[in-house]
Amino acid sequence: MSILRIELRRSAAIGAAVLALVVGVAALYLAPGRWSQGWMSLTLTTKEYLLLLWPLALAAGAWQGRREHRARVGELFDTTPRSPVRRMLPVLVAMGAAVGLAYLLVVVAGGLRIASTAAYFPPDVVAIVLVGAFSLSAAAWLGLGLGRLLPALVTAPALAVAGVLLVFFTTIMRPDWLGAVLSPAYGSNPFYPFQTIDPRVTGALAIWMGALAFTGVLLLVTRSPYARVAAVLPALLGLGAGAAIVPRDEATLIAPVDPVARELVCTDDAPTVCVTRVNANVLETLTPLAREGLAVLAKLPDAPTQVHEDRRSFALPDEMPAGNDDIITITVRIDDRGGLAHPASVVPEIVLSLGVDFTGECQRNGAVERAAAYYLLGREPVSDVGVVPGMISEDPLLNAEAVTLWRGLRELPSSEATARIAAVRAAILACRDTTGMLSR
Amino acid sequence: MRAVSTAETATTIHPWAIHAEALQVRAGRHLAVDGLDLSLGTGVHGLLGPNGAGKTTLMRALATVLKPAGGRLTLLGSPVDGRTDLRTARRALGYLPQHFGYYPRFTVREFVAYLAWLKEMPKAAIPAATQRAIDRVGLSAKADARLKTLSGGMLRRAGVAQAIVNDPQVLLMDEPTVGLDPEQRLDLRELLRDLGTDACVLVSTHLVEDVVAACTEVVLVNEGRLVWQGSPAALVAHGDDGHAGDSPAERGYSALLHRHRAEAAR
Repeated sequence: MSILRIELRRSAAIGAAVLALVVGVAALYLAPGRWSQGWMSLTLTTKEYLLLLWPLALAAGAWQGRREHRARVGELFDTTPRSPVRRMLPVLVAMGAAVGLAYLLVVVAGGLRIASTAAYFPPDVVAIVLVGAFSLSAAAWLGLGLGRLLPALVTAPALAVAGVLLVFFTTIMRPDWLGAVLSPAYGSNPFYPFQTIDPRVTGALAIWMGALAFTGVLLLVTRSPYARVAAVLPALLGLGAGAAIVPRDEATLIAPVDPVARELVCTDDAPTVCVTRVNANVLETLTPLAREGLAVLAKLPDAPTQVHEDRRSFALPDEMPAGNDDIITITVRIDDRGGLAHPASVVPEIVLSLGVDFTGECQRNGAVERAAAYYLLGREPVSDVGVVPGMISEDPLLNAEAVTLWRGLRELPSSEATARIAAVRAAILACRDTTGMLSR
Repeated sequence: MRAVSTAETATTIHPWAIHAEALQVRAGRHLAVDGLDLSLGTGVHGLLGPNGAGKTTLMRALATVLKPAGGRLTLLGSPVDGRTDLRTARRALGYLPQHFGYYPRFTVREFVAYLAWLKEMPKAAIPAATQRAIDRVGLSAKADARLKTLSGGMLRRAGVAQAIVNDPQVLLMDEPTVGLDPEQRLDLRELLRDLGTDACVLVSTHLVEDVVAACTEVVLVNEGRLVWQGSPAALVAHGDDGHAGDSPAERGYSALLHRHRAEAAR
């Protein structure tokens, strides 16, 4: 009869693992759109759930840690030759392995859904997931030590509440604060495109969690007051070592971006359509739609000939791409299943800008551009609400003005209308006001 | 986890399984055992004494839970002094505390196996030894029942099972008959007699009749000292109608205590 198997069956290990698994998987599948883009999204979303899972493992460990005190077996066990370290080994393994495995299974449960659509597997994912699982094991071991140190009924629930508050606090602080960097939930909301976690940060977290785990084990197996005070030392050393390897530059801590994830993957044939590597799986779906949009714009002279996915991460405010009149950039959106979201919006999004990206530097007339775009599309202008994803309201006067201008274009000979639209595009490229250019 | 070799668990012959000289043991600040001399070998020894005599403190010291405050104590030849490694002696020790703590979620089999593992029995020997110990205390039908579902008497028997799982050379049992019905007490006496044929069994109890029926020797302590040591027949012989008790043995016990108190008063 294996003692480890007995501990797995009779300790809090399986209960804590099942609870962590249910909470983690339920949270994932309640909002699949948060992580359907790919492996890193899944990894970071799961890591965010450590906000709940880490305190849960801590409390489960504390509950288990007071078992000997609760059962009053100390006197009997002290008469046996097996040392406390060796005596505690099965319960340490059972608790640590169970909650760590639960975390891995949460990731696997999400991975099953995106395995067929996620095109890019960043190598950093492996380390982040493994350190996340180790964080849970470390929480359980720290809890075991604290539960033995303070074997009161209230210890486990108090640690659960304190743990949630502490981890939550670290997630709302600036990501470059050391407490936030060494938080198990570092890298969580708000998410941004091409997000990653620097390997040094993951390494620092592993060291810090390892140190906390070691402190927990020492608290679990020692009894003398001096040894218990000394048990704090590994945690302090781990904190120092972790802090020593954490990078200091703001960009690495606040908005790290995976450069490989945002490399462009393009069609072999023209017109060229490119998406980032992380969204490569939607290239096939996007290409005919993007080319349809380019074909509409091709009625204009010097029209763009390529469509690229917008590679900005939006995490850093000063990050703007260099302008290229030949390229239209669009936002690629991923649906809950990992496929292209809102495919019907692709053509309007390409045409509505008349092939000139919004840089924010020039004043642009929305009604003029909409009238021109819908003339090229061959239909009456409609509000962006319901066409452009994320648009929830719009001034009705804007579309009314666009419809008026569109009707004016329709009354013109086709060549004249197209010439006016080409002039509008040229004005936008030159950063000039386009007001009145369709109705002169 | 290290496997224990056969050589480490093999029975070693010692002149006395338990040997104490001028032993002092504290219970808190108070010296509950104070100058006790005692030597016990193979057989079943009944430890008698009034409340507060120091029986439980003595048992805890013999079980290596408490460190002696003075004097000398050896267990199977190993000094119990807080400095000597007691692993070898502890492997040959069985102990049933007065207040038997247990994991309520464990089954009888799991808990007994767990204690066998704590006693560093060879892994391969644990299942058979566990089953044998459970059979010997008559809990076979409840082997796979959780401890929290057992009655007080059954729990006590589970406690005995864990104490004997390693076939101890020194078996210490503090109030083993608490909660047992008359039939179970008879069974336990028989088990003790059986165990005492090749081990040193020390049973602490208030029940003089159990001692007389099951033990080969009686150890009477009072105020932390040895008052008297002899056979059950000699204990009975000390009894006369002038002392309290429903049986000759109880009257013998009362007579010896009375005589000791009188001598102490002088």
